[in-house]
Order: sequence, then structure tokens, then C-alpha cells
Amino acid sequence: MPISLSDTLHNKTGTWRTFRPIHKNKLPPCNKKCPTGENIQKYIYLLLNKKYEEAYREIKKDNPIPSITGRVCPHPCESKCNRGEFDEPIAIHHIERFLGDYGLELKDNWEIEEKKEKIAIIGSGPAGLACAYHLRKKGYKIKIFEAENEIGGMLRIGIPDYRLPKDILDKEIKKLQEMGIEIETGVRINHPLDLAGNYDAIFVGTGAHISRKMGIPGEELDGVISGLEFLKKLNLGEKVKIGKKVAVIGGGNTAIDAARCALRLGAEVKILYRRSRNEMPAIESEVEEAEKEGIKIEFLTTPVKIIGKNQKVSTLECIRMELGEPDESGRRRPIPIKGSEFTLDFDTVILAIGEKVDLKLFENIETTSWGVKTDQYTRTTHEKVFAGGDCVTGPSTVVEALGAGKRASIAIDCFLKGEPLPVIKDKKPVTIENINLDYFERKKRKEPEKIEFNRRVNSFDEIWLRFDEKDLLEEAERCFSCGVCNRCDNCWVFCPDLSIIRNEEYSVNYDYCKGCGICARECPRYVITMEEER
Amino acid sequence: MKIFNLPEKENMRPGHLACQGCGAALAMRYTLKALGEKTIVTIPACCWSVIDGPFPYSSLKVPLFHCAFETAAASAAGIRAGLDIKGLEDINVLAWAGDGGTFDIGIQALSGAAERNENIIYVCYDNEAYMNTGIQRSSATPYGAWTTTTPVKHYKNRPKKDIVAIMAAHRIPYVATASVGYPDDLIRKVEKAKNIKGTKFIHIYAPCPTGWKCKPDDTIKISRLAVETAVFPLYEIENGYKYILNIKPEVKKPVTEYLKMQGRFRHLTEKEIEMIQKEVDFQWKRLLEKCNQN
Ligand SMILES: Cc1cc2nc3c(=O)[nH]c(=O)nc-3n(C[C@H](O)[C@H](O)[C@H](O)COP(=O)(O)OP(=O)(O)OC[C@H]3O[C@@H](n4cnc5c(N)ncnc54)[C@H](O)[C@@H]3O)c2cc1C
Ligand SMILES: Cc1ncc(C[n+]2csc(CCOP(=O)(O)OP(=O)(O)O)c2C)c(N)n1
Ligand SMILES: [Mg+2]
Repeated sequence: MPISLSDTLHNKTGTWRTFRPIHKNKLPPCNKKCPTGENIQKYIYLLLNKKYEEAYREIKKDNPIPSITGRVCPHPCESKCNRGEFDEPIAIHHIERFLGDYGLELKDNWEIEEKKEKIAIIGSGPAGLACAYHLRKKGYKIKIFEAENEIGGMLRIGIPDYRLPKDILDKEIKKLQEMGIEIETGVRINHPLDLAGNYDAIFVGTGAHISRKMGIPGEELDGVISGLEFLKKLNLGEKVKIGKKVAVIGGGNTAIDAARCALRLGAEVKILYRRSRNEMPAIESEVEEAEKEGIKIEFLTTPVKIIGKNQKVSTLECIRMELGEPDESGRRRPIPIKGSEFTLDFDTVILAIGEKVDLKLFENIETTSWGVKTDQYTRTTHEKVFAGGDCVTGPSTVVEALGAGKRASIAIDCFLKGEPLPVIKDKKPVTIENINLDYFERKKRKEPEKIEFNRRVNSFDEIWLRFDEKDLLEEAERCFSCGVCNRCDNCWVFCPDLSIIRNEEYSVNYDYCKGCGICARECPRYVITMEEER
Repeated sequence: MKIFNLPEKENMRPGHLACQGCGAALAMRYTLKALGEKTIVTIPACCWSVIDGPFPYSSLKVPLFHCAFETAAASAAGIRAGLDIKGLEDINVLAWAGDGGTFDIGIQALSGAAERNENIIYVCYDNEAYMNTGIQRSSATPYGAWTTTTPVKHYKNRPKKDIVAIMAAHRIPYVATASVGYPDDLIRKVEKAKNIKGTKFIHIYAPCPTGWKCKPDDTIKISRLAVETAVFPLYEIENGYKYILNIKPEVKKPVTEYLKMQGRFRHLTEKEIEMIQKEVDFQWKRLLEKCNQN
């Protein structure tokens, strides 16, 4: 009887192929959306494998203060999470907070190769801190000059304790100081170029700190205070006088936080905002929280006159508004409705209609109507001076400031080395259509608990509790891992030609792969691309 | 983050001759993972007699016996008897035949072996036609399908033969359906069969992109849809009477989703699809009754 004793390995069926599968990780939409370029998918993957420290270090590559953004970032990443189109987005910022807090307890062992160049940074807000951090990692000597007596910018004087406890801020700052970043407080710099003689480059991150005035009668009365001033005093532990019936004017973060602070001090609080809910610049979830806490919002309403009794605020004369054509901000312009005037009684009025950049600082450096003029890499019109954060964009967010600080560090490094700047590529992120939804089941998003309601409205205690570890892992498991291999094995499982090689990374044995494409089709997350053979 | 957990060891090699996206190649790969290397396979004329490779080459790491088209079950029974005489009772004997070799020409030998309760595992990998010889109809070809012997004008107008019921009627210890789209389930069933004495019959759904006129990368998607539409439900029958349903879709998908992916059904009109849907619904209801599932 004839017997076959040889195998088929000589038969290189790879020659049949007209398309070749290639394992190639793509860009998850969350990573793309993060202004400071966090590798979100990756730290969630590491977390899932219980590698908490590695996950923390992964965030730290791009973000110097994760325990802070984990608390206050409006998480644009979540708005682009593909899971959001399937059921609900991953609770990325709660995960970030967990890892950030985990990291606060760890020691960072930096091995920094010292360079001789010195860089001055003006302002210790998130922009300045991020720029300092990334440059320090590269070995530059850093000195931060801060006008206030305390470090942190708006993180210190703006955002209240119930959202960002001061000890968290202190710990993050201490970590940065331990890297060798020097911070001098209580020095106000008059012009960036005053430092040019002693430093090789200067980064300006001075924020937007001038409270806008309304320009209505009665603003000088006793009982009228700016939102930022009110928050700053509270945050710095100074005594603040506040009445029983408080009006807050404005719709941004300052207005919402001022209102919530006043509520916690025992006042009855009403917010007056001249446009409608849709146009509110404040973080949406924070507005909802404020309302849940019992703060009323009068939309389409603005004060026209503050009336006083014995030099003290007693009444607000208001007018109703309607929305007209969009203005230069793209939001519909509020127009007063004639004859709709009415009055409301208050004993305190907090004005929080916005902050402006102090442009006096930038004489001889080009500015726009709202801030310093820079390119994408934070370069100003003076080659030694770089700027980023609120002083460039006008009031924005912490993570935008962190991103600007990071880009500035790259620009400054290139400038000092005389190297060209890396090109910023616009890569297409993975979309929900790319995901093989057959492999996912609908599952509710998990979040941590909040402290109970009474404690919330009667104290400045932090609202959100830490993520329960079991819930955290369940939440992380919901991540699609868009476009990035997480070793699910599907390509290997379904290959009829035994042509998937699983080493550190997966690859294809092109000697035998016939190019059927099953691996690409059954990859849940669009890692494998079919490319035409030529 | 694994979704499926398969045994690591491969008992098959690449370089085999299956077409791109072949379901039958996957079926063999999974089955041998479950049975392990202590296995002898007997294969009648079918695609797999080609897939394995020409003389003197074989892609399997276990002995394979090529037998005549109608003799899969008989040759398996013979090999079993020989092994038993030599005291090699721990070696699995696997009869591996296509639907033509099982539903049609091999049914006499299979029925005989089952009636004697021969201690073999019989796998029919079902690609719903005689594919090796160029897509001729078999009694496993489903209603409505095009094949070269049932051209569009005279598409197949008889239902697929219920081979599982026929095998259950032999009251053998184990009968099961399985699918290459559900490798965990398939492997579990083969492992279960391995540990049962007597005749075990496993009917594996194995798409053939070449014969079904679908894209080679559709193989797994179609397999999944076959289960989700209840065109090919996954279930087991113990001792000829105890029905166990393995997967019950939360919402049964309409059969059009399944049919529209395959060129062999392209000619069907809406009315004909409706008829097919009615039949699938009816058979599904009967199956649920047998499984005490409704
Ligand atoms: C009440 C409030 C709540 C907010 N809530 C959130 C939130 O929840 N999430 C979020 O993402 N963003 C929030 N923001 C916005 C966010 O805080 C800012 O976008 C961010 O802090 C900007 O960072 P920055 O570094 O550009 O400026 P800043 O944080 O403003 O820091 C600038 C620093 O520069 C210092 N400085 C200014 N001039 C000089 C000078 N001449 N010399 C030396 N030092 C100087 C200032 O004292 C300050 O410390 C909030 C803002 C406010 C006001
Ligand atoms: C007695 C006999 N008749 C006909 C043939 C030709 N023949 C070889 S394979 C085959 C079709 C097999 O069909 P199936 O069992 O469904 O397996 P598939 O090729 O589809 O995998 C036929 C008709 C043969 N080898 N022997
Ligand atoms: Mg066949």
C-alpha cells in the first residue's frame, strides 16, 4: 500500500495570495481627541492586565498631573469614544483618576541627563507645569516664576475643593518639584524678555485672570464681587463675606463654581445667564450637578442695573433676552426684549461673565484680540519666547493647557538644538463602522459613587469617591481597544491556513497565507488591513 | 482578552490545498485539536482527499487512510476492530466525510455502523454540495440553492435531508451539530464525543466560498448568521432522545440576512425567501419543542 511520509510544508500556498493581511495598529478616537495626546487605549489595556503602575507611567508620558485631570478634565476623549455609539462611552476620566491617585503613592525614579541650558517659565498653572515637566525630563534646568504666593494657577485659586482637593494638587506639585523643577512664588514678571538675559528660552503661561466688568450702574456697590475674586479668597482660605440671597451672573465654569460655593456657604443661589442652556460654556455635567444641588438657573436673562440701599445691594433690575443670529463665537447672539424688565431681590451679586488675558505683558510681541499670537507649536513672534494655555486661547481647559505646555517643550527643545520641528500629522481615527460589533455585548457603564447628598451641599468635601476596583476592571473591560491589538487571538483562531504567528506581536506567515481575509474580517478591532499584492 | 479558548497544539500543517476561506479546513483543524495526536482518520472521496495533499504528502500530523467514496463508516469500523484486537483502545478513530459521502452514497455504511454502535467518531463536514467534483447537488443542498446540477431555472426544490434526525433514530449515544463559526462549542462537542463509547455523529457546518459564491472572508460571518437565523441551529441529542439546545439567539435574525451574502441564493424572489423563512420558523419551533425550550 502506498504511504505518504512527507508533509505539505514544501507547498508555499502564499503564492496564491492576491491580498495580504497586515497587523498594523491604528489610532483610537480617544487618543486622537486628547489635547495632550494620552495613549488612553494603552493604559486601559495595561490596567485590565492589573499592571496599574505601568498604566500610570503610560499616562505620565503625556500628562504630568493625571490625578488632577482625572478629576476636572471635561474629557473630550469620552465624547469621541466609539463605545458611545454602541451603548455608553467608557468612563475614561474616572479610570484616569484611579490611576492618577494610584501614582500619587508611588515614587518616581527619574534618571535625568542634565543639560546646561536654562529655561524660564512664567506662571505655574497647568500650561507652565506641563512645559516644565516635559523639558525637565529632557534634562533642561527649569525655573518657574509665579506671581501668587501659591502654586497651581486656576487649579489652586479657581477650582474648588469639592472637585479638586488641595492635598491632591499639593502632592502632584511635590512630585514635579522632586524632579528638580524650581518654583519661585510671589514674583510678578513684567515682561518675558526681562528674563532673556539669564535664560535660553522663556515660556509664558500666565492664563486669563482679568475679570470682565459688566458696565452697568451699581457695580461698585457693597455686596458686588467678581466670581474669580470670590473663588480665590475661598480657595486660599481667606474670610469671605456672603449674604443669604445670592445672584451669580454668567454661564462659564467660574459662574457655576461660584454658585456652588455660595450654596455650600448656606446661601440661596440663582444663576442668571443671558443665553440658553445650549450656549453655556461651562462643563455640561457640572451644570447638571449644580442644578441637582438646588441652584436655579434663569436663562435668557441679564441684569441691567444693580440697585442698592445704603450703599448695599438690594435689588437687581433684569431684562429678558431672545436669541438672534450667530455672533463671531458661533453662538446665537442674545438680544434684549424691549419692555421685559423685571426686578429680583438679592443681597449679594457675583459677577462671573468671563475672564480676559492681561495683554500688557506682551508689549513688542504680537497678540490677537483675545491673547498672545502663536503657531501650533506655541512659538510667538519673538524667537526666544513661547506661550500657551489660557493666555493664548482665552479661558479654556486644563488639558488644553497641558497640551500647549507639551508642544512648547518640543518646540523649545528643537529651538535649542537647532533642529526642525516634527510635522504634526492628521491621522484618521478608527470609527464605529470599523469595529466588528458581533464580538461585543451591550453593557452599562460603571462609575464610582458620590458622597451622599446632604454632605455634598453642606461641605466642600470631594464629591466623587474613588472607583471600586471590581467596577473599575469591569468598566475597563468594556473598552473596544479601537484599532489596537489586545491579543484576543481571533486571527489565530479563525485562520484556515495556520498562518498566524503569535510572538510579542502578531504577524502573518506569508509563506502559507492564501489571503482569504478571514483574520481581518474577524478582528474585532480593525487591527488587520488587507493590502493588494503587486 | 481572549474570546475563544482553543487548545494550543496543532495537529495539522499549512501547505494544504484547501481554497481560500475553506470552512472544511478549519473544521479539521479544530477537530484534531480536540482529539489530539492519538487519532486515526479515514477519509472517503471528497474535498478533503485533495486538501490533505497529493501522494506522498500529507498535511495531517496523524495517520490518514483514504478510502472509497461510500465506505467512510465501514473503513472506520474496520480500523477500530484492528486496533481493538491489538489492544490499542485509547486511539480515536475518526471517519471524516463530506455531505455527499454521508447523506447520499455513504449512508448505508453509516447506518450499518451506527446500528452496530461501532466505537467511532463520525464527522460529516457539510458544505452542502459535491464540491470536489464541481458543485453538484447533494441531499444536503438546501432548498432554493443553485448548484451546477440545479441551475437557476431549476434550483433545488427539495428541503435538506434531516441527517441528524436519521442518526438520532439509530439511538446512538451521541449526535450533535457544530459550526466553524463557534470553535469553542465545536471543540467541546468533539471532546465530549471522545469520551463516549459507541457511535458518535457530529454534523459540522462548513461554508465553501467557492461553491456558495460568497467572499472567502465571509466564512465565519455566514456561519454565525446560520446560527443567528436558526438556519443551522446548534444542538445535541443524547441516546437518541435527549435534545439539548446550545445556542438560542436572543432575537432570531431574518433569513434574508443569511441568504443575501451568498451568490447561490441570488435568484430567489421575495416570495421564495418568505417561504424559506416560514420553513425555518417551523423547524425552529419543532426543535424548541424537542428541547423543551418554549
Ligand atoms: C473657576 C474655574 C473653574 C474651572 N474648572 C475647570 C475644569 O473643571 N476643568 C478644566 O479643564 N478647566 C477648568 N477651568 C479652566 C482652567 O482652569 C484653565 O483653562 C487652566 O487653568 C489654564 O491654565 P494656564 O496654565 O494657561 O493658566 P492658569 O491656570 O490661569 O495659570 C496662570 C498662572 O500664571 C500666573 N501669572 C500670571 N501673570 C503672571 C506674571 N506676570 N508673572 C508671574 N506669574 C503670573 C498666575 O498667577 C497663575 O498662577 C476652570 C477655570 C476656572 C476659573
Ligand atoms: C464511487 C464514486 N463516485 C463518484 C466519485 C467522484 N467523487 C469524488 S468526490 C465527489 C464529491 C464528494 O462530495 P462531498 O462528499 O459532499 O464532499 P466535498 O467534495 O463536497 O467535500 C465525487 C462525486 C468517486 N470518487 N467515487
Ligand atoms: Mg460536500
